[in-house]
Amino acid sequence: MTTREILKKVRQIEIRTRGLVNEVFSGEYHSVFRGRGMEFSEVREYQVGDDIRSIDWNVTARFDHPFVKIFEEERELTVILAVDMSGSQKFGSGKYTKQQIAAEISAILAFSSLKNNDKVGLILFSDKVEKYIPPKKAKSHTLRIIRDLLSFEPSGKGTNIKSALEFLNRMQSKRAIVFLLSDFNDSGYETILKVVGKRHDLVGVMIEDDKENEIPAVGLLRVIDPENGNFITLDTSSAAFSEWYKARRSKLTGERKNLFLRSKIDSISVNTKESYIKPLVNFFKMRESRW
Amino acid sequence: MSWLGLGDVYFANPWVLWLLLLIPVLGVLEYFRSKKRETAFLLSTANILNEEERPRTLRERLESVPVYIRLLALAAIFVALARPQSTTSGENVFSEGIDIALVLDVSGSMLAQDFSPNRLEAAKSITDEFIAARKTDRIGLVIFSREAFTQCPLTVDYSVLRTLLTQVKSGMIEDGTAIGNAIANGVNRLKDSDSKTKIMVLLTDGVNNSGEIDPLMAADIAMQFGIRIYTIGVGTYGEAPYPVQTPFGTRYQMVPVEIDENILTEIANRTEGKYFRATGNNQLADIYKEIDKMEKTKIMVTSFQNRKELFLPWVAAALILLLLENLLSKTYLRKLP
Repeated sequence: MTTREILKKVRQIEIRTRGLVNEVFSGEYHSVFRGRGMEFSEVREYQVGDDIRSIDWNVTARFDHPFVKIFEEERELTVILAVDMSGSQKFGSGKYTKQQIAAEISAILAFSSLKNNDKVGLILFSDKVEKYIPPKKAKSHTLRIIRDLLSFEPSGKGTNIKSALEFLNRMQSKRAIVFLLSDFNDSGYETILKVVGKRHDLVGVMIEDDKENEIPAVGLLRVIDPENGNFITLDTSSAAFSEWYKARRSKLTGERKNLFLRSKIDSISVNTKESYIKPLVNFFKMRESRW
Repeated sequence: MSWLGLGDVYFANPWVLWLLLLIPVLGVLEYFRSKKRETAFLLSTANILNEEERPRTLRERLESVPVYIRLLALAAIFVALARPQSTTSGENVFSEGIDIALVLDVSGSMLAQDFSPNRLEAAKSITDEFIAARKTDRIGLVIFSREAFTQCPLTVDYSVLRTLLTQVKSGMIEDGTAIGNAIANGVNRLKDSDSKTKIMVLLTDGVNNSGEIDPLMAADIAMQFGIRIYTIGVGTYGEAPYPVQTPFGTRYQMVPVEIDENILTEIANRTEGKYFRATGNNQLADIYKEIDKMEKTKIMVTSFQNRKELFLPWVAAALILLLLENLLSKTYLRKLP
């Protein structure tokens, strides 16, 4: 992609997600990701209808006129988008690859946080951390994040969620909202996932494709492993193979869901075939009802 | 070159066989090519496919079979290009033998029954035995009566010769006795022969009464070419029963036997041969035995080489293999992409 194309694409995503950000997610995002608590900001004169419990008696006594304390929500949140850039993310049987879906979801989340005055940071990882953009709060910064999401060419091909989460733990000491966008085509990240889940508000966004769960029966199929470049020939017409494959995949998916459940980490499942808006909205609704 | 298990196989373009060395090279190249640089579908979950417990089917194992079938077809094409040929016999055989021209009188008088069943049949059967006894001689057959012609040129193929001998019948040629022409014809058969000993066995029962060549002159010609002539006069002394066609059928009539023994002796003498007189079957057989004993020398027989092109089965095999390869790779072993 040339720079011009990337910028065009960034603008397109901005425009496309603006509506979603302003209408669909604005309220929900705001209420779901609240600050730590209420913080005193100022006192002002009592007005009719104010809660009498909020009257500041010290100030009222000093000025001989009723004053109330105004509290503001602590809003300064940090959102970290950890996006998987590994080779397996380049797969997509529909219109978009998993990576493109991940980029759009990231854009929505980034704009939503921008709108709510939150800082956004980005971690791109493959088998190592490829790029880190520290959290900042500016429109230009958000656009830069989206541009990087679209144009970044990773040097590694594999997936190493563990190293990405360890890096995040090291870099982000303050509690943050972490969106982990990946196909979780990896193992060995279970412990660090729990650790990060305790420290931060971690949300796993699983991006899946139907063809990953069931390979169509087309006879001999030559496939390449995008993570290591190995060629494998499969007999997709064989019932034994497709059964084994299905069982293996559902076992892995089940294990992963179980892991998230046990670690009390929220997760969103997004399929490349369907719109990602619905799972996102459902997720926000679910979070809202929990509060 | 019988290493191909096909008997005597000879390659007209043996250098093409060097191309067969390319086959293993191509095989190895193909093996490495299949590991790399090939179009394939990207499958994000391929990492779980490498696991040991993945069920592997027969089809998966046969995946690269078409490639090797193609190489086999190529090998067959190379072999066909080398032009394999079979030769029935490609060697020169040294053997003891001489060139013999058998000159047989088939005139009507040969049907006389002083021999059993008649002179011609007796001569034929005894000649047949004579031929059978010889192993490595080149024998030709000239028959004559009023004219002379070659029934069989010099050959070692005795089966043909004996077949042609049995076909000899009286009356094949207009009646008469042209001894001179017969000798000349026999000389004609023998004159180009390289063999050291050339003999002619002239069997007759009459007097030279036709033909353009004088028997003695013919004998001189034969002498010039170094041909020995053994002359055999057949017929009893006195009278013999001759078949005569009458309105009432075939009748036998006693006719005095006339053999020009002087001429025959002279012919034999001029060519350093010998004259025999046969008065019955046994004498005739003895004469042939004597001739058989007298003549034995070495000659070289060169059997002709009969080469047969054997490329067809190889080409057919290549074609079938290619078809098979195409069929397999389009149906059972069709590979995507």
